Amino acid sequence: MRSEDPRDVGWVRQNIPCQSACPAGTNVPAYIGAIAAGRHGEAYEINRAANVLPGVLGRICSRPCEDACRHGWPGNGEAVGICNLKRAAADLKHAGHRITEQLYAPTGKRIAIVGAGPAGVAAAHDLSVLGHDVTVLEREQHFGGMLRYGIPEFRLPRDILDIELHNALRLGVDLRCGQGVGHGPGEIPLARLLEQHDAVLLAAGCMAPLPLQLRQAGAGPGAAPACPDIEHGLPFLVALHRGQSKSVGRRVAVVGAGFTALDCARVATRLGAQQVTIHIRTAEEYIPVTKEEIFEAKREGVRIKGLRTPVGVVLDGQGRLTGVEFVQNRLGAWRPDGRRQALPIEGSEFVEACDTLLIAIGQKTVNDFIEPQVELDEWQNVRVGDAGMTSVRGLFACGDFVTGPSTVVEAIGRGRHAAQGLDAWLMGKPRRRRVVRIEPVQQPLRERSFDFIARQEMPTAPLHERLGKDRPEVEIGLDAQQAVQEARRCYLCNLHYQIDVDRCIYCRACIEVAPRNCIKLVQGVDILDDGSYGSLREAREWNQVGAIWIDNNECIRCGACFRACPVKCIAITRNEFVEVDTP
Amino acid sequence: MTRPRHHVIIGTGVAGNQATRTLRQREPDARISLLTLSALPFYNRYDLPRVFRGVHDWREFLVDPPSYYEDQRIELRRCTQVVNVDAQRKTLALEHNETLSYDTLLVASGGRAYLPEELSEYRDLLDGFTSFEQAMTMQRKLPAGGAVAILGGDMIGLDLARTLVDTGHRVMLVAGKHTFWPHVETPEQRQALLGVLQSMGIEIIDAEAQGGIASIQAGARGFAARRLVFGKGRECTADVVLPSFGLAPAVEFMIGSGVAIERGLLVSPSLRTTDDSILAAGDVCQIWSEADNRYRFFFGWKNVRAMGELAARNLTGDDEAFEPAQDETLHIHDGMTIHSPFWEYA
Repeated sequence: MRSEDPRDVGWVRQNIPCQSACPAGTNVPAYIGAIAAGRHGEAYEINRAANVLPGVLGRICSRPCEDACRHGWPGNGEAVGICNLKRAAADLKHAGHRITEQLYAPTGKRIAIVGAGPAGVAAAHDLSVLGHDVTVLEREQHFGGMLRYGIPEFRLPRDILDIELHNALRLGVDLRCGQGVGHGPGEIPLARLLEQHDAVLLAAGCMAPLPLQLRQAGAGPGAAPACPDIEHGLPFLVALHRGQSKSVGRRVAVVGAGFTALDCARVATRLGAQQVTIHIRTAEEYIPVTKEEIFEAKREGVRIKGLRTPVGVVLDGQGRLTGVEFVQNRLGAWRPDGRRQALPIEGSEFVEACDTLLIAIGQKTVNDFIEPQVELDEWQNVRVGDAGMTSVRGLFACGDFVTGPSTVVEAIGRGRHAAQGLDAWLMGKPRRRRVVRIEPVQQPLRERSFDFIARQEMPTAPLHERLGKDRPEVEIGLDAQQAVQEARRCYLCNLHYQIDVDRCIYCRACIEVAPRNCIKLVQGVDILDDGSYGSLREAREWNQVGAIWIDNNECIRCGACFRACPVKCIAITRNEFVEVDTP
Repeated sequence: MTRPRHHVIIGTGVAGNQATRTLRQREPDARISLLTLSALPFYNRYDLPRVFRGVHDWREFLVDPPSYYEDQRIELRRCTQVVNVDAQRKTLALEHNETLSYDTLLVASGGRAYLPEELSEYRDLLDGFTSFEQAMTMQRKLPAGGAVAILGGDMIGLDLARTLVDTGHRVMLVAGKHTFWPHVETPEQRQALLGVLQSMGIEIIDAEAQGGIASIQAGARGFAARRLVFGKGRECTADVVLPSFGLAPAVEFMIGSGVAIERGLLVSPSLRTTDDSILAAGDVCQIWSEADNRYRFFFGWKNVRAMGELAARNLTGDDEAFEPAQDETLHIHDGMTIHSPFWEYA
């Protein structure tokens, strides 16, 4: 059965927190269910339907799904290792696994995409599936963007990246690497691309480092002085991944709190630095990287020091770096963007000795190649409408090029979203829409004992191998047995338990066996403005009871109520979003 | 009639226990709940080396008799783990799915033994010494005259080392930057201090000079239980390997509560967190120090006890600032004896 009833749509949106949190909208319970049954290839395909790079994201995703996972809610234990399972599906699928694509008939429309990073590749894939002729222009010599040039190989092996990028673009996409867009020698002007194509999508990423105002000891304020020992983090990584030789001093200071800062620090340890310290403005708890990455960096000897902002550098007589000057911070209120404020403490400056400074405080877009002029937002990023189109007709933009620096999974999600908007504009209507598929499930798919399985930790390479000559991938991947165990931990939140109140005899047997306060006697249920279910109004007296209701927010899908019900009035359905063609 | 306030204290260490005692004195009618992960009521962890002097009865370590809590109407809840604090609703989520409301909360959860991340893969081969149960486990593992390798040091580990040498055990100290934690010593002091430790019968292995610890392995059957291999090839064996690298604040359950955290809970000089109803005391908190112009930890039994007392007073109407209660300097007397305030707990 397929439904567009707002109550069903709202139920899926509210009750599958991992999928709602995923910028790409990955159907997490479905692929974890497939892994639990040992069907890794199917799990990979479910992933790939939302995100064309499952093996890549399974390694480097920022994991917003795990922050939202119901298993990690207070009292429920630790979140399911969703990302590790994504990788397990990619690693453990059959060697001869065949990928599937739902191809549309050719449309004859020509689309150019500028940038072959995650957003551009995701959009190129979806647009080619929809039948358009897609050309991707990439300034670098190889495709992948930030994935290839920003992320070290010990986190993302290039063979995995190459296979999945190739699979994403194999449906006739014309990939032109080494082809810049702009007005430089050999570059194609954007205006010409617009003339030659039905639409152009800008997905050029966000690769220019943000400058940091640092004073030189004894000099006035200004940008960081030119010094061979001071580099910006992202260009440092890009140069390394282009194959250039890079070196660092014995003591390396990294300033910044994101994945790039952490990657710089871990690369520095591999380049032979003896003492690597990441200096952050707030505290470890508030930095937007996964706990696992922080732990592995610390294992490799990286130290993290909080509550400090760099304000200056100390150079010796030869102009070489000898230290960084910081000011001590205290924590302030929460900022509107969800980050914590750091407030400098007057007069608390101090110097930490170091030989190399890597600045990784963020990136900005470069959009000086855009002609004709487009509207920009307050951060000088390209402004787009809901469908992803800029102020210039036929010119679309997506990913970090629009939002500023974000995560890979966000870039992929935005690439897909832009592809849908672009396709709808070209074809005159949206060709796909999302509905809820509701399927009956005969019996519970979980056992209560699954709730007591400990989270399976990711096996990692020994330290001496990591820092040795070969520098292998640090995370080794779950084996098949670990993957099944971890998959069993998932509550399968896409299962909807409902009591048929007309058949219920109010014996309370289900309430007696429920491990949580998940089955409630209610007066009624609120209906929200969008037509979906809202809060339950619990009954305090018997004569107020209007229904017996399973609170799906509390339900951990253990099946105890289903098994205990003497009149079998509890039904289970699998409710999930699927995309269908519009008529 | 006004409902008495419910004070909840997390942790039954020196700070938590002192706070409980003071709270009861100042608010005889208040409801007081004292939560601890430990199976035992408050006992003196500094006394634990006595297990190697033949004291094996847990009752010998208790500071107050078990009846004390009942007499004082203190709800002592042992083996209770707090997993989350909702500061807006003023509730704690406990691991066994219970929700506990509070009017005021004192976090005195202390610190747990810090294990450097690079040694985490050897966790199963290492022992601990921060609870009575761990102390007894180590005592049972260590044969008469057996060998102990202490990694790091710290003043708690060094105190144990003194007892182990006194009781006829062999002690190898793998010395590094944490050896005199929480003291900060000069290089000259360090050499002199290591010399004194050697004169006490402790074997010193300089971790850095040996290329760091390359691996820790289980010993072959019939030999010492553990084998340490250093980066430059040196090996040594021991019956027990004890990491001793100082304490890491136990704050995991506070993450997401909205209270400011750096390494520990960040508190004002009056021990208030960024939430009006939550105070912190002991090794779990970093106190704003006007003198140092930064947040810092104040370790040591006397400091921790003073914090517990102050927190209770400030929870019940006062608003005083913390004043350190003990000297933090490390001395060598007569070139022979180390005097640390962290060893003065009798």
